[in-house]
Amino acid sequence: MKILLAEDEAQLNRVVTVAMQKSGYEVDSVFNGQEAVDAVKKHPYDVIIMDIMMPVKNGLEAVKEIRATGDKTYIMMLTAKSEIDDKVTGLDVGADDYLTKPFSLKELLARLRSKERRSEDYNSKQELNYDNLKLDLNSQELSSNNSISLSKQETSLMRYFLLNPGKQLSTRELFNHVWKEEDETEDVVWVYISYLRSKLQSIGAHVKILGEKGGSFSLTRA
Amino acid sequence: MSIYGKYAAYLPQILDETMAQIREIGQAYQEKNGQKLYEHLEGRVKGEESMTQKCKKKGLPLTPESALLENRDAIGLRIVCNFIDDIYTCIDLLKKQSNFKIVKEKDYITDAKANGYRSYHLIMVVETPFEDVHGNKPGQYFVEIQLRTIAMDTWASLEHEMKYKHDIKNPERISKELKRVADELASCDVSMQTIRQLIKEG
Repeated sequence: MKILLAEDEAQLNRVVTVAMQKSGYEVDSVFNGQEAVDAVKKHPYDVIIMDIMMPVKNGLEAVKEIRATGDKTYIMMLTAKSEIDDKVTGLDVGADDYLTKPFSLKELLARLRSKERRSEDYNSKQELNYDNLKLDLNSQELSSNNSISLSKQETSLMRYFLLNPGKQLSTRELFNHVWKEEDETEDVVWVYISYLRSKLQSIGAHVKILGEKGGSFSLTRA
Repeated sequence: MSIYGKYAAYLPQILDETMAQIREIGQAYQEKNGQKLYEHLEGRVKGEESMTQKCKKKGLPLTPESALLENRDAIGLRIVCNFIDDIYTCIDLLKKQSNFKIVKEKDYITDAKANGYRSYHLIMVVETPFEDVHGNKPGQYFVEIQLRTIAMDTWASLEHEMKYKHDIKNPERISKELKRVADELASCDVSMQTIRQLIKEG
């Protein structure tokens, strides 16, 4: 993982940088919010650790600017005060997590490991399996005897079923999961259930989606 | 002397009659349902040269028996349909013909080949007024039929182009892309089939 650390206290900056480097991370360290914004423009990072109280440009402003460019990098705020408002503001301007100063290096490193696990093991686990069915999330390909391509929404719907096999998933839940951000209405769910059923059948999957139009659906072995 | 012997003259006639019969099936279906059973129909008698090569390759003697009995694709037809379920409707209708007898079926649609090829293959025996290799008259001849959708047909043409071009620099890449696009076309075929069903259900 490549990490950007923005911390103005030289001593603390040094200690944290070395500790993270020793853990095998690649670390760029800067000393104020403006330097952080500039570094993010130039280099790709997996995690940004951002102090709030910094000269030139404070951490909250820096996070706002970074997010305004469309950057989605995981950001952890370091806050000197344990005041709730500070944490809330930090999260609301776009940070993903925070640590309250003084913090233990042990805890910081554990959080980085947790973050790494989530992004590598969970998100980049690009294949889901159930019985003889395989969904490749990278190539959007569903296969058992044969393989067939899926559209983006079909992949998202199939993924949700595969993460929740055997559970009753309502039309509303499916809609909210796949189409929430889109200009669509709930009747789209039945159409996509129909697509997936045909596609499961066409590749000879031993897996079925049970349920009736408008109701709840569940993935089971055929 | 032709590898097909004296039977060579019968083959185009058998092909024509079989195609005419299938056209009739198509017309009757269209009159009844207001929809085309298939998009187009094509047929060929396998060329002498090509049949001779095939027999040689299989180590068969160059005789009409080899050409007409050991090989069963001397007469070949292809029915290209708009939708997947039309293919299965065609097969049902072919099975109902009293002078057609289906002796072998291979469903490469539900069980696609590893390279992505999809089609339904069947071999049938047709009753004809002509003498056959066994000396029976009326005689029986094998006819091979391939049924596929337009998308499968387009894909097969592309794959054919690759197969017969021997100087492709990156065959693995092209094969991989062909496989991928076959799965995408299958996806479209199945989606259109599904939409058709949704329209029917109303």
